[in-house]
Amino acid sequence: MEEESNPVYKNQAYGQYRELLYSYGTDGKFEKNVGFHGEADRVTLQQAWDLFNDRIEAARQKVKSGKASPILYYMEKTLVTPMDLSMHAGIMIWRVKRHLKPKVFSRLSGKTLKKYAEAFNITLDQLKNVD
Amino acid sequence: MEKDKIMIDYKHRQAGHCESGATSNLFNFYGVEMSEPMAFGIGNGLYFSFLPFLKLQYAPMISFRNLPNVVFHRSMKYLGVDATVIKKFKEPKESMTALDQNLEKGIPTGMQVGVFNLTFFPPEYRMHYNMHNLVAFGKEGNDYWVSDTVMELPQRISSEDLQRVRYAKGAFAPKGKMYWINTIPKDMDIKAAVEKGIKKTVYEMIKIPFPLIGVKGIHWLAKDLKKWPKKHGNETASFYLGQIIRMSEDFGTGGAGFRYIYGAFLKETGEKFNNPDLLAASKMMGNAANRWREFTYLGARNCKNRSKPEEDYGKLSDMLHEIADMEKEVYVKLDKIKI
Repeated sequence: MEEESNPVYKNQAYGQYRELLYSYGTDGKFEKNVGFHGEADRVTLQQAWDLFNDRIEAARQKVKSGKASPILYYMEKTLVTPMDLSMHAGIMIWRVKRHLKPKVFSRLSGKTLKKYAEAFNITLDQLKNVD
Repeated sequence: MEKDKIMIDYKHRQAGHCESGATSNLFNFYGVEMSEPMAFGIGNGLYFSFLPFLKLQYAPMISFRNLPNVVFHRSMKYLGVDATVIKKFKEPKESMTALDQNLEKGIPTGMQVGVFNLTFFPPEYRMHYNMHNLVAFGKEGNDYWVSDTVMELPQRISSEDLQRVRYAKGAFAPKGKMYWINTIPKDMDIKAAVEKGIKKTVYEMIKIPFPLIGVKGIHWLAKDLKKWPKKHGNETASFYLGQIIRMSEDFGTGGAGFRYIYGAFLKETGEKFNNPDLLAASKMMGNAANRWREFTYLGARNCKNRSKPEEDYGKLSDMLHEIADMEKEVYVKLDKIKI
């Protein structure tokens, strides 16, 4: 019901859920309202996701053209840096960086691949083949 | 089977900030009426730090809140409440059994989690942000019932997913941290706790001798902001500016980087203890918060159009300097107040 009274936000991709927002009026009262996000939030969220999606798409192209290993794609997709991935998977950071090369990736052992798959929470097949 | 289902009679109330919301809800469960701003103020939620050498999601780290678990820990300490915090577990499984045992005893238990894999969260907010808090209050089969104060309703999450978010990696990794209240003393000295809380916040905002924290941090950010378009190019500068706005306005701040919540805290205490100085400080804080909001609107317009960058960034930088001065006045005033 309340959603209908806010038709502006209905077709927006971002900021569709309601949270508790405080405000301060000139009369010196702090008020609490449950409402949708304002313009500023939606713009900046959109901006962030535009950048993330661009990076993911660029990584996908790189993997398809054989310039990088699928690890790069999944790294961008889960928004992690090599440092984070190294912590997640328990593989040293210089090795993670090396594994971004397709040639090195193709020679990886099943054990290492499994560590990566677990870190990304995907299956081995998904790890080897980028959709 | 009946045994599979545990439900604690825990009241979920939506709040602006995850951790102070969880703390105030826990207090209410034990029969002590405490509002969210009160928990936030006593527990020193207010903070500012600008750490350009740390990157969060490809942009410099800017935080308007204190370190994770500070709000709970300090409010318990200042109010003299007997509470337990387990910082980390050796094995993820151990932490889940500990949680189960607590639920069986009927203790609602708070946990620090990462947001990225949180299944019930709106997808656009799932970034790597490890300072989120939940309170588990029930178990049904393999699923847990959790109260996430930024959501409107209690949520269900499966055991595997909960374990994953409790062991999210990265900056400020939760490592399975959990906390709960044991007993609350009958005669809590709220006045003394408020005094301690305000003193500590004032210390953290203006007295720490380090230029990137507190009011000095806001000035530093303002100086840095001016240089961004030349240093990084328009696109990146605008993305960095977006980061300030995301951090101050996005989920779990109550708007304007917690300044509204803190103002509400000052007002509530001013009314409670009949202190006109606190009420005056709350008004000043409210004005500063409104100025923050103007800053975000202006900044968001820049993020949208990316027009005339130099002029814009100069103006935004001046605005931040002004906000920093406004805030400083509040803290200087608070420093002199006797409650």
